[in-house]
Parts: sequence; structure tokens; C-alpha cells
Amino acid sequence: MSMCFLSSVVGEFGRIALEFLRRGTSPKIYEGAARKLCVPVEMVHHGVEGLMFLMTESSKHMMSEVDFLDSVLVLGFSEELNQILLQLYLQHHSQIRSILSRLPSNLPSYHSLEWRLDVQLASRSVREQVIPMLTMHLLLMRGCDSSSKVLQTDPSTLLHLILTLEAALAAMKTSHSRRILRNIK
Amino acid sequence: MELSESVQRGLQSLADPSAFDQSCFQVLVDVSFRSLLSSRGDPGVLDQPELKRLDQIMLKQSHTAATTFILEAVKQSADKSTISSCLEELTFSAERIEIFYSTYQKHKTELDRLLASIGRCPPRVNDVSWRLQYHMKNSQVDKVNEPVYLISLDTENEGSSEDVNFTCTMEQLQDLVGKLKDAAKSVEKASQM
Repeated sequence: MSMCFLSSVVGEFGRIALEFLRRGTSPKIYEGAARKLCVPVEMVHHGVEGLMFLMTESSKHMMSEVDFLDSVLVLGFSEELNQILLQLYLQHHSQIRSILSRLPSNLPSYHSLEWRLDVQLASRSVREQVIPMLTMHLLLMRGCDSSSKVLQTDPSTLLHLILTLEAALAAMKTSHSRRILRNIK
Repeated sequence: MELSESVQRGLQSLADPSAFDQSCFQVLVDVSFRSLLSSRGDPGVLDQPELKRLDQIMLKQSHTAATTFILEAVKQSADKSTISSCLEELTFSAERIEIFYSTYQKHKTELDRLLASIGRCPPRVNDVSWRLQYHMKNSQVDKVNEPVYLISLDTENEGSSEDVNFTCTMEQLQDLVGKLKDAAKSVEKASQM
């Protein structure tokens, strides 16, 4: 990464880099910046990507101020530039971390549950029924995609589900769990 | 109960002692119920020794009529007087009505269950399994250090089972359990009405 930019330019690039991390890259912006600075587009491209990488890696590892400064020291920039980069990091690292954690994972996560109690009175094959039935609409999220499932259950299974999941909640409160949660940080 | 002409005719043959004598009648009634309850269609269901000497076409028509009548009766949850008056109109003797009705009573619950299972419905949740894990890190983020639940809903849809898997935090699980408890309370209230 060869950067011979003025500090103000770095500030501008930092802003572009963070916008790209939030919204995705856009080549037009590279062209605009390259024109203004009278440098080739590739140089802008590499510069911004380098900044993006620096910010995401540092946020990923939750680097302290000292560690961050040690890492950028290697790049041989001026003290002023290092401080600008550090400020950029400190201002935005928690936001970058939350964007990273929303990257698609293997499993969808719970979003919400809606439910409805019905009594089935008849169907095409049977005309006189009295069947209580709980219909549930489970909303799940995976990254930015949501999926929904419509499920049914009967009152006795519902009570079984409640008991089982209450036991799951109780598992977090055991001394074993508390010990682990306390000690691994 | 409304029955088509061919069903009425088939049943009238069944009622006729000169077409079906007493033993043949009993056998055909049993066979008709059996063919509805067996899980696989049996082409040899009518190959009973007592039924061999009957006119095979008439036999098939009566068998079809009987099974149609049985299904219609179960579908409408017909009571004894409805079935009796219907069969009476089709010239069934009181004895034959009694034989038919007692066999019907024996198998009614099972037939009801069979008919109720036909049709589309959303997948049914039968069970739930859970796992509590401590999420330390992943490929995108380091030092996560949060507990996370993995929930698996065991669902069944028309015979085939399917798992619905998802993760949730403790707060989300509390939300889920809270909503399920609200649903259970409303079920209880409804059952007291």
C-alpha cells in the first residue's frame, strides 16, 4: 500500500471507506476523488480498500488504542496521520463490529412470534369437528433476509413446549453457566 | 343424506335377500369396512369364499355403494336414526340395519380419524429441543463472548418430518416463551367459556 496523501485527504478517504462498509462500494466515487486529486483511479481504489481492511480487522479483534498504534507504526506514516487513523478507528469501531456481526451466518435467528387460537369446525372430508388449534407465525432473520414459517400445534403440545423452553432459560442461571460466563471474557 | 342413483341401486341389491343371503351380507359389510381402514388398496379384498358364487358385477357395485355410504355417514357424523331411516328407505330389513349399524359403531372413531387426517394443514410442531452455547468467536468477529441458544422445532407435515432451526439470545427466548404463555392463557380462558 503506497500512500503519499495529505492528512485532509486521508480524512476524506476515511469517510468514503466507512460509507462503503455501510452501504457497499461504488466505482463512481473512486473516479470523482481521483479526478479531484489528479491521481490514477487505482491509487484511490487501493487506498480506500486498504483503509477498509485496516478498520475491519482492527474492529474484528477489538484492538486497544496501543495495539492499533503499534500496528500502523509499521506503515511508516507521520505521527499526525497515525492519530487521524486512530480517531477514525475509535469513532467507528463499534458500528463496524455490529455490521460485521450481521453478516450472514449459518443459522437464521429468532425475530418474533405471532399466534392465533382457532377452533376447526369442518374440513372437506369431515363436517362436524371441534378441534382447538394454535397457529403460529414464526419470523426469522438471516443477515438481511427474513423468512417466515407458519406452524400449528395443539394445546397440550403447547404446554409441553412452554415447560421445555422454561427449562432452557433456567439453564443459564445455574452456577456452572454463571461461572463460564464470568470467566471467559 | 344424499346418495347418487348408482349408490342407491347398489345398496338396494345389498338389502335384497335373494341377491345377498344373510352370510354374504355380513361378509360384505365386514369387507367394506375393512377395505376403508386398510392402509393399502387390496385388489383381492372381494375374494372371499362366500362371495365367489355371486354375480361379480353386482358384487362390485354393492361394495362401492356400501363404502360410499359409510364414508358419507362418517363425514356427516350421521346418528342412528339418520342411518336407519336412510337404509329403511332402501328396503333394508331391521335385522340388516342392526348388523350394519353395530359394525359402523365399532369402526366409526377410526374412520373419523382417517378422514380428519386428509387435507392440507400447516406443519405441526410436535416437540422442541434446545442447546445453550457460549459463542466465543466466528470467522467475521472475534471476542464475541455471548451465550446463545440453538432451538430446534420438531415439525411434521403430511407424514414427513422437518426441523425448524434457529438461534436466539436469552432475551429473545424470554420473548418467545412469554408469547407462548399468553397463547396458553387464552386457550385456558376459551376452554372455560
